[in-house]
Amino acid sequence: MDFLETSCGCHYREEYWDGELSEILLTALEQIFQWPVLGIIVISAAYGLFMGAIPGLTATMAVALLVPLTFFLEDVAALAAIVTLEACAIFAGDIPTALVRIPGTPSSAAYVDDAYALTRAGRQEEVLGIALLFSVAGGLFGAAVLITSAPWLAKIAFQFTSYEYFWLTLLGLSCAAVVSRGSLLKGALALIIGLLLSTVGLSEVHSSPRFTFAQDELIAGINFIPAMIGLFGVSEVLRNVLWFQNNFRTVVQEGFNQTLTAGRSLLNRLLFQPLRCVFATASDLLWRRKLHVLRSSIVGSFVGMLPGAGADIGAWISFALSKRFSKNPEEYGQGSLEGIGDATSANNSALAGAWIPALVFGIPGDSITAIVIGILLMKNIIPGPQIFTNETQSVLVYGIYITFILANLVLLPLGFLAIRGGSYLVRIPQPILLPVILLFSIVGAFAINGSYFDVWVMLGMGILGFVLEMNQVPLGPVVLGIILGGKLEQTFIQSLTKSDELWDFFARPVAGFLGATCVLVWCSPLLISLWRRRWQTSP
Amino acid sequence: MLLPMEFARIKSLASPFLSWLPFVFALLTLVGCQAKKTYPSRPILLICPWAVGGGTDRLSREVAVFLEQELAVPVNVVNATGGAGVTGHSRGASARPDGYTLTMMTVELNMLHWRELTEISWKDFTPVMLINRDPAALFTRADENRWEDLNAIADDVRKNPGTLAASGTATGGIWHLALAGWLQAAGLKPDSIKWIPTNGAGPALQELVSGGVDLVCCSLPEARTLLAAGKVQPLGVMAESRVSGYPDVPTFQEQGINWAVGGWRGLGLPQETSQEIVNRLAEALLKIVTGQTLLNGKGFPWFMENEGFNLTWEPSDKFRRSLERADQELGSLLTSPEFSQVNVGRFQPMDFPKLLFGALAITLLALLVRFFSRGKSIAASAPTRLSGEGLIHFLEIVLAVAAFALLAEKLGFVLTAASIIFLLLWRLGTRIWVAAVVTLFVVPAVYGLFGNLLRVPLPRGILGW
Repeated sequence: MDFLETSCGCHYREEYWDGELSEILLTALEQIFQWPVLGIIVISAAYGLFMGAIPGLTATMAVALLVPLTFFLEDVAALAAIVTLEACAIFAGDIPTALVRIPGTPSSAAYVDDAYALTRAGRQEEVLGIALLFSVAGGLFGAAVLITSAPWLAKIAFQFTSYEYFWLTLLGLSCAAVVSRGSLLKGALALIIGLLLSTVGLSEVHSSPRFTFAQDELIAGINFIPAMIGLFGVSEVLRNVLWFQNNFRTVVQEGFNQTLTAGRSLLNRLLFQPLRCVFATASDLLWRRKLHVLRSSIVGSFVGMLPGAGADIGAWISFALSKRFSKNPEEYGQGSLEGIGDATSANNSALAGAWIPALVFGIPGDSITAIVIGILLMKNIIPGPQIFTNETQSVLVYGIYITFILANLVLLPLGFLAIRGGSYLVRIPQPILLPVILLFSIVGAFAINGSYFDVWVMLGMGILGFVLEMNQVPLGPVVLGIILGGKLEQTFIQSLTKSDELWDFFARPVAGFLGATCVLVWCSPLLISLWRRRWQTSP
Repeated sequence: MLLPMEFARIKSLASPFLSWLPFVFALLTLVGCQAKKTYPSRPILLICPWAVGGGTDRLSREVAVFLEQELAVPVNVVNATGGAGVTGHSRGASARPDGYTLTMMTVELNMLHWRELTEISWKDFTPVMLINRDPAALFTRADENRWEDLNAIADDVRKNPGTLAASGTATGGIWHLALAGWLQAAGLKPDSIKWIPTNGAGPALQELVSGGVDLVCCSLPEARTLLAAGKVQPLGVMAESRVSGYPDVPTFQEQGINWAVGGWRGLGLPQETSQEIVNRLAEALLKIVTGQTLLNGKGFPWFMENEGFNLTWEPSDKFRRSLERADQELGSLLTSPEFSQVNVGRFQPMDFPKLLFGALAITLLALLVRFFSRGKSIAASAPTRLSGEGLIHFLEIVLAVAAFALLAEKLGFVLTAASIIFLLLWRLGTRIWVAAVVTLFVVPAVYGLFGNLLRVPLPRGILGW
């Protein structure tokens, strides 16, 4: 509060917090709990689930497609639609991740190996149930953070200069490399390959072309979405056909069909048994790991709040934290339910985090909030501290809060239906499924930019992914390297340009902390292995 | 030369498709009848060279909605991003000149070719309508009151050149150019303020507010929310007169510096587009920019004002002349020896990749050492032996993707996708009729879903679908 009055030159009216609060809340509730608005929320939830579940289509694209519609919608309804869509799309990204091994969003790439391994063991409903329940938990936590402490937290975003962003980006990348299945060296190799791929094209720092071989198409660089589809999806198709036997196998190999054990009554068979299938393990795990969920959600909200850092970094850091403090770290990468849960709650809580700087200062936390700011401006609402004080506009802010909660609640039943529907996918025989997956991959890669070059990128990355996997090199760090490589280079060069000596990288307190953590992340496995070796050999 | 036996084999392979030929022809004739309509008769693609969420994207999407209203066909925005605008502009310029690919051109069109990043210039487009001009402005942090006006900064820079840091876009971008031009106009060296490259105005403003840089050069709308929040303070705008919507911001000319520059956005068609189509679009756009087309009771100028964009429109001829003039102006600045010096920063473009190659070499070396020290335990462990059939399937998948990339633009999505998926299904051992049913179900479903509902511009080919 003090901060806003002093450093923003704006004034919170005292009475707003005391008297008008409940009134504004009531108005906001009234505006949302109308049939048309509730209808829009349900429709956007379904739309978000759908868009998120198709690889190549992103939540950002879905929101961009909504923009023309928002011209016709009331302010509250327009924002409600976007919030709901976003919350549902990021969960839906887990569906193709688990079922066909194509991460729907980059943040799902953190646990794609785990989820797919479990699907192959016939446990896809369990995995997705966990993803759903933990997503909802994370989303609700993120909403709570947004509601209670947006103005205070937004201040932290202004402590972040290029030094802090450099270390944070490096930390996210390091977590990806260290945590991945296989050895540290192979994780590092994957990361470096990803970073090198990100340098193809016009460098954002110098705007000079690199590795483009005078091709106009290469100047745009390698888009991470076709790369992700290729690395995971196409490589999986390639592997499957290479060892293909001409029989009607399904993806699930040693699976057991849980629904067949259903009881006699119709209600039991259609509702209770499926509910148990999807939610039994999940609710149990959620209860046992409530503190872990809290930790992941805090990480997620914090990282999501920083403009330019997003759900992907949040998911990787929580996944790494989760593994570091787990009792069974050897399960990670092979099908760890814990890791999946922790990472999904982090990426969902990051969403609400991105709204903090967007609402408080009009600085977008991610690409979706960038669109939202545009929509707000179009509706003659200028995001900034005054949005909390102006009466009609603070109704809107409360509207956003309420929809964040509602969206996560709507996600539960709709997500359940999506899981049930999606689970049929793995029962389709492979000779039919594989070509269809390939077609969707092609269209997904093409859709993002409408470019044939992206289709080639997908193919190239598919072959690269196949080769890397043959040599047990993890693919997650490659994707994250492609996504964050530009950011890493930029913040690195910016910091170098500003600084006079190396110490400047650690001089600011937050930068120092993040830097030290980074160094620790890389050194700790080495130290541990050295220590172990000595311990093993000395007696 | 085909041997008779091979021919027979191919014929037997092809026989399942021959039975489908009549249907294909029937479909072709149906579509052929529809094709002869006046422009526009099918969805239009609007290429935006910048990413979703940015100013150009926002403007493109609004123009698209109004155009849709005016032309009664869907207008789909595609963000062909990357390469500082090269990708979008070059794709727009090389599109089929049938009026179905529009480009939202931006100021970079006049800069990229001078910096030899592409061959594409304004001459490759037929300008249709200029929509917006946003002059550059200079910002500092609001809470410090470090400088009264521009001259105070200029004095500061003269005393201690190279100590202040400014940002706003990548090195050599339009806002960097604006800053360098101002310094030159003020009699200073263009590199006497350090330029910190960022990925656009948003991150630059964030750096400014968190104390990373001292000045930011960008357009007024880009800083609008932070202006309203009272976090940044404008020192001047590089325009000939004050900008509507920002009456308190003085121009550079008022402060005694003769320097005006800014970004612009306008629509263009590929160069050989017929005059008829250009006129049809120009007519529609004129209605839009003058506020005659209403959407939910509101016109385009209302939206522009609300978002803080400066609506300045110029019809085709005038737009062409401004393009030509601006191209010369920017060219003389970009090729001047003073500015080309600025572009050489402390760190070279290849520094970062070199670092990575170093790291790659170390990692590979370490892996190699471990490989030899541990023997073959970490060698690839292929699950089972390779079969010839598997390898053929592997190649078929690769070929299928390649075939799409090569053929879809000519044949259109439906034909390409249908043949790819049908052949693959059949090769993987699905029975012919199952493959046919799956193809007939999946391809139209994907086409309807992506092409119509989600507005992905799927390739349409010579047949129109």
